[in-house]
Amino acid sequence: MADAHSPQMGRAARVQVQLAAAACLLPLLLQLPASLGIGFGLGALAVIAASWRRPMPALLRLMLGGCALLAVALVAPGIGRDTACAVLAAMLALKPAETSTLRDGRSLVGFGLFAPFATFLLDQGPISLLLALAAVLLALLALQRLAADEGEVAQVSARGATVGVVRLFALGLPLALAAFWLFPRLPTPLWGLPQRSIATPGLSDTMTPGGMFDLLLDDSPAARVQFFGATPAPQQMYWRGPVLWDFDGRTWRQAHDLQRYPAAPMQSAGAGWDYRIDLEPTENSQLIALDLPTQLPDGAYASRDYTPWATAAQYNVSRWRMRSAPPVSFEADLPPPLRARALALPPGYNPRTVALGRQWRREAGSAARGRADAAIAERALAMIRRDFAYTLNVPPAGRNEVDDFLFDRKEGYCEHFSSAFVVLMRASGIPARVVTGYAGAYRNPIGGYWLVRKSDAHAWAEVWLPARGWVRVDPTAAVAPERVYDTIADRQPGRIAGLDALVPVFNAGDWLRRGWNDFVLGFNAQRQQSLLKPLGLDKLGASALAALFGAIAALALAWMAWLIARGERQRDPLLRAWHALEARYRRLGRGRAPHEAAQRWAARVAADRPRAGEHLAALARRVSDARYAPIASREALRELVRDLRRHRP
Amino acid sequence: MRALTRPRALEALPARLDRHRIYVLPTASGLFFGLLLGTMLLGALNFNNNPALLLALLLAGAALASLIAAHMQLSGLRIDAVAAEPVAAGEALHLRIALAADDARQRRGLRIAHEEHAAHVALDPRGTTAELRLPTARRGLMPVPKLELSTVQPLGLARAWAYAWPAQSLLVYPAPEAQAPPLPVPAGEQGHPQAARAGDEPHHLRAYRPGDAPRSVAWKASARHDNLLVRDYEQQRGGELLLDWQHTAGLPYEQRIRRLARWIDDAEREGRRYALQLPAQPVIAGDQGASHRHRCLRALALLPQDASPLEQADG
Repeated sequence: MADAHSPQMGRAARVQVQLAAAACLLPLLLQLPASLGIGFGLGALAVIAASWRRPMPALLRLMLGGCALLAVALVAPGIGRDTACAVLAAMLALKPAETSTLRDGRSLVGFGLFAPFATFLLDQGPISLLLALAAVLLALLALQRLAADEGEVAQVSARGATVGVVRLFALGLPLALAAFWLFPRLPTPLWGLPQRSIATPGLSDTMTPGGMFDLLLDDSPAARVQFFGATPAPQQMYWRGPVLWDFDGRTWRQAHDLQRYPAAPMQSAGAGWDYRIDLEPTENSQLIALDLPTQLPDGAYASRDYTPWATAAQYNVSRWRMRSAPPVSFEADLPPPLRARALALPPGYNPRTVALGRQWRREAGSAARGRADAAIAERALAMIRRDFAYTLNVPPAGRNEVDDFLFDRKEGYCEHFSSAFVVLMRASGIPARVVTGYAGAYRNPIGGYWLVRKSDAHAWAEVWLPARGWVRVDPTAAVAPERVYDTIADRQPGRIAGLDALVPVFNAGDWLRRGWNDFVLGFNAQRQQSLLKPLGLDKLGASALAALFGAIAALALAWMAWLIARGERQRDPLLRAWHALEARYRRLGRGRAPHEAAQRWAARVAADRPRAGEHLAALARRVSDARYAPIASREALRELVRDLRRHRP
Repeated sequence: MRALTRPRALEALPARLDRHRIYVLPTASGLFFGLLLGTMLLGALNFNNNPALLLALLLAGAALASLIAAHMQLSGLRIDAVAAEPVAAGEALHLRIALAADDARQRRGLRIAHEEHAAHVALDPRGTTAELRLPTARRGLMPVPKLELSTVQPLGLARAWAYAWPAQSLLVYPAPEAQAPPLPVPAGEQGHPQAARAGDEPHHLRAYRPGDAPRSVAWKASARHDNLLVRDYEQQRGGELLLDWQHTAGLPYEQRIRRLARWIDDAEREGRRYALQLPAQPVIAGDQGASHRHRCLRALALLPQDASPLEQADG
C-alpha cells in the first residue's frame, strides 16, 4: 500500500505506530495457542527490526506470509474462529514490513484495532479488556502523532499527548456509556459465531473411556452457582449434563432423537433447591442442572431424559435461574422401546463382563424383580468397593475395555467405572445408562457461591428399577468419594504444593471474575429490560428502547455541543457582561461601532436618551477603569459586573 | 460548493471564526476508521459481546469528540490583518496573516491555504503570524483571495475548515523588462547619450543608508572600516534622470510599463536620482531610495490595465 503521494512517517511517528500495533497484537497473541502466540510475537519483532531502514521486498513478505499461514494450518487446522484470529495476528505481525508513509501508518493502526476485537471473540476476561484499553489508547496516541506530522506540529510532550487523548475519551464517555446501556440488543444473533477449530475441553455428547482426561486436569471454572434458600449437601451436588444411551463397544453416545420428546413423568421429593447458575460459554446449547431440573427458565428445556438444553448455542457467559429436586420416582413406567435401548449391548464386545452379568442374574434367582435388580446393583458396588482403586494413570484402552478394567486392571477413573458398571448392569438385564456432568463444587467463602470447575467433570450411572424408575448410582464414589465430592484439601483451588497461602488470593480473584461476568458479560437484552424496571420502564419494546436511547444520545450530544459553544464564550466575566449590554443596545439600533470608544459611544447615546445614557456613561467609565487602570478590588469588579447586567437601555 | 460557504462576501478585518462558518467533515482516514467502527459495532452487537461493544463505543465516542476538538481548534480564532510587501508580477507574494484568539486554548496544526499553496502554523496565546506564498500574475491591485483555514488535529479523523475573505488588496509591481536598453540620458547631458557603466571605479565611498541596493555595497572597504560603505555614483553621474513615458514611445503598452519599471530598478541600482513622468499624472519629483522607488513603481502598477485612456494622452 505504499503511496507515493503520502509523506514519509517521521521517526517518532514510526515508533509510536509500531508500539500501538504491538499493543493491539498482544492480547490476541495471549489467546492463541502458545506456539503460535510466541512465534508471531517474535516474528513481529524481527519484521520490525528488518524493515526499519527500508521496506521489505515484496517477495520476502510473500514468503513470510506463506510461512505464517502454514504455521496456522499446522497448529490450528480447519476453519474456525481461532484460525481466523491466528491469520489476523499473522497479517498484523507482517504489516510493519511495508509501513513507511503516513497513510501506511494510519492503515496499520486501523487494522491493528481489529485485534483487540478478535481477542474478545476468544476471551472476554478483564485482563483482555485492560490490555485492549491500553492498546486503544496507544492507537489513538499514534493517530494523534500522525496527524501532528501531517500538520507539521511541533513535538508535544508525552504527557501532554496522553492528556489530550484521555480528554477525548472523557468527552465521548457519556455517549459511549448511554449507548452501551441502552442501545437495543439483539435477543438472537443475526448470524452465528463460527465454531472454534481447536476444541476447548468441555462436556461432550459422547464418552470414550479415557477421553475425559484433559478435562479432569483443567481447573478453570465451568459454572458458578448461587443458592437461594436450601443448599444441597456436597454428596447431592450432581450437575446433570448429557445422558448417554448408546454404546458401540468403545464409545457412549447421547440419544439425540430423545431430545424432541417432553420430559418423562417425575415425582419430586419436597420443594427442592432454588438456584442461579452462571455458566461459562459452552459453544453449544448443552446446559447443566442440579440433579433433576423441575423448573427451567425461558430459553431452556429438558429432554426426555432430563438433559438440560438451551434453545441456542451459548457463546457468552449465560445465566439461568432454575429449580431442581431429587426424584421419588422418575419415569416409573419405562416404555418398551426405551427399555430395549437401555439394555442394548453391542455383540462381540466384553464377553467376560456379559458372562458375569448373566451369572449374577441367574444367581439372583426368583426374588421379586425389583428387589433382585437392586441386589445385583448392590453386589456390583460391593465388588467395586472391595477390589477397585481410583487412578488417573490409565493405559490406552484395548478392544474389550470393560473386560480389561473389571477383571485385570481394576483401576481407573469415573469414565471407566461408570462405563463398566452400566455394561455389567445391562448384561444382567437391568436397564442402565451413563450420565455425564459435574459432581461436587467448591464453596467460595467470599461471596458465598459455589464454583464448579471443569476438573469436577464426572460420569455416573442411572439404573432403572421397577416402581422407582431411574436411580442414580455412582460407582466411582464407592471407591474415591473424596475425588468426587472435593472433600480433601488438596482439591482446593489455589492450593499449591500443600500450602494454603494462595487460597484467599484465588477466592478473591474468582469472586472478582464472577462480578465481572455478572456486570459486564451477562448484560443482554433480558438484563437490559430488568435494568429499566426501577425507572418504571419495564417491558419496553425495541422501538421505545431506541427512542429512549435516542433521547439520551441527543442529551450527550447536546453536552458536547455545549462544550463547543463554551469554547467560543468570552472568558472574562467583565467583558462578557459588557458585550451583553452592548448587544441590548444593538437591538435598539444604538449599537457601538467597532471603532467607537466606550465613553464616546455612551456620550452619543446620552445625546438622544439622556436618562439611560447618563447611567451608561458612568458604567462605561467604570469599565474602562477596571480594564486599564490599576487593578480594582475583587469586590468592586463583582459589583460592576452586577450593575452591567442590571442595566437596561 | 465553495460558493455556498460562508463568508459569501468580502469582509472587514478583524474577522472572527465562529460556529456559523466552521465546517467539519471526516477525512478519508476518518471514513475508513468509521467503517472499521461500524463493522466492530455490528459484530459486537450480533455476538452480544459486551467487552467488544464497550471498546467500540469508547472508540466511537473518542472519534466523535475529535470532531468537536477539531472544531474547537478553529473556533474563536481571529484574523486580525493581512499584509504583503509588494513584489514584481510573476513572483510570489509573501502574504502575512496575523492570527489571534480571545482565549488561551492551544491551537496546533493550523493550515492556511489558497489553492495548492499552504502554510502551517501554530497559535500561541499572544497570537502569531502565518506567511503564505501567493503567486502573482499581473501588476496592479490584487484582491486577497478567499483563504482557507483548516486543521485535522487532533487525530486526523476529521477536518475542520473555514474561509476568510478579507476585503483588502495587495499591490503587485509590474514585472521589469528582462532585456532593456540602457538608461536614458540624464536631463543635464542631453545630446550625449551615455550608457550606464556599472563597472566604473567609484570616486567616493559614503556610509550605508537604508534603501541602498546591496549591489552597491563596497564589501572589501566595509570590512576594513568595520561599517558598511557604499560606492557613491551620484558624484560621478551628477545629473538627475527623468524617466518619461515618452521615452518608451513605439513599444506596446504593457512593455512600456515594464521598461520603465526596469529603468527604475537600474537607476536605483546605480544610485541615481530619478523622476518619473507618466501620462495624465503630475511628475514624481526626482529622488532616490526605497520609498521613492515604491512611489514610482506603485504609480506604474496602478496605471490602467487597458491602454485606451492613455493613448489619447500620448497624442
